[in-house]
Amino acid sequence: MPVVEQLLGLAGVGKERLQLCWVSAAEGQLFADYVTKLSDLIGQLGPFQPDDFKLELAAVETVLKSTRIRWLMGMDRQITEQENVYHEKMDSEAYQAIVRQAVAEEYEKGMIFQALADGPQSVREIAGKIGLPVYTVSLRLNDLERAGQAEFHEFEGTTAKFVRMAA
Amino acid sequence: MQETYEPKILAFLCNWCAYAGADLAGVSRFQYPPTIRIIRTMCSGRVDPVYVVEGLKNGYDGIFVFG
Repeated sequence: MPVVEQLLGLAGVGKERLQLCWVSAAEGQLFADYVTKLSDLIGQLGPFQPDDFKLELAAVETVLKSTRIRWLMGMDRQITEQENVYHEKMDSEAYQAIVRQAVAEEYEKGMIFQALADGPQSVREIAGKIGLPVYTVSLRLNDLERAGQAEFHEFEGTTAKFVRMAA
Repeated sequence: MQETYEPKILAFLCNWCAYAGADLAGVSRFQYPPTIRIIRTMCSGRVDPVYVVEGLKNGYDGIFVFG
């Protein structure tokens, strides 16, 4: 839940568009109240235009499907409440910090990966498209290359062009 | 005539908790806005984050998960 909220925030969708509430079978009134209150909230936010967020949403989806994030989400309890294979236990705060860091990195990678869907591009072109500094794009592109998700394609003049590989 | 904007919301309801709650709300005739489209899941823990993104992609204005 915090992961998805952070991602929606990063994507500019706004985390308010996702809500989680607990309602038991005996709380019909509570359910009606929640729906009324939250519908008003979404109503204030106004309509959501998925076409404006195509790239971002695709990136978020890539992140949520990525092995790294899946592992981190699944191992939360194991590592913070019990211990890992080296009998080390981790503070919940520290773990959340790692998760947040990972999500931010993966989101940048996801954006690059999705930006490359339009064919071979240079680092500068990608950076311009997704609004990240050239240096960051370069770093993440390196990560993608190592993971086999992107590859050097060809030189156009002296500019290196990159393509994405199948996920 | 003034046209009021009505959000389109996708709601995932747990079969055992919120779905029964929603049922009760209906049976007891509590009023709530007709903005939500309900999907019943066997458990709210079964809702994958990817479903949320999928919902937004398909043009829903908001996603609720009730458990």
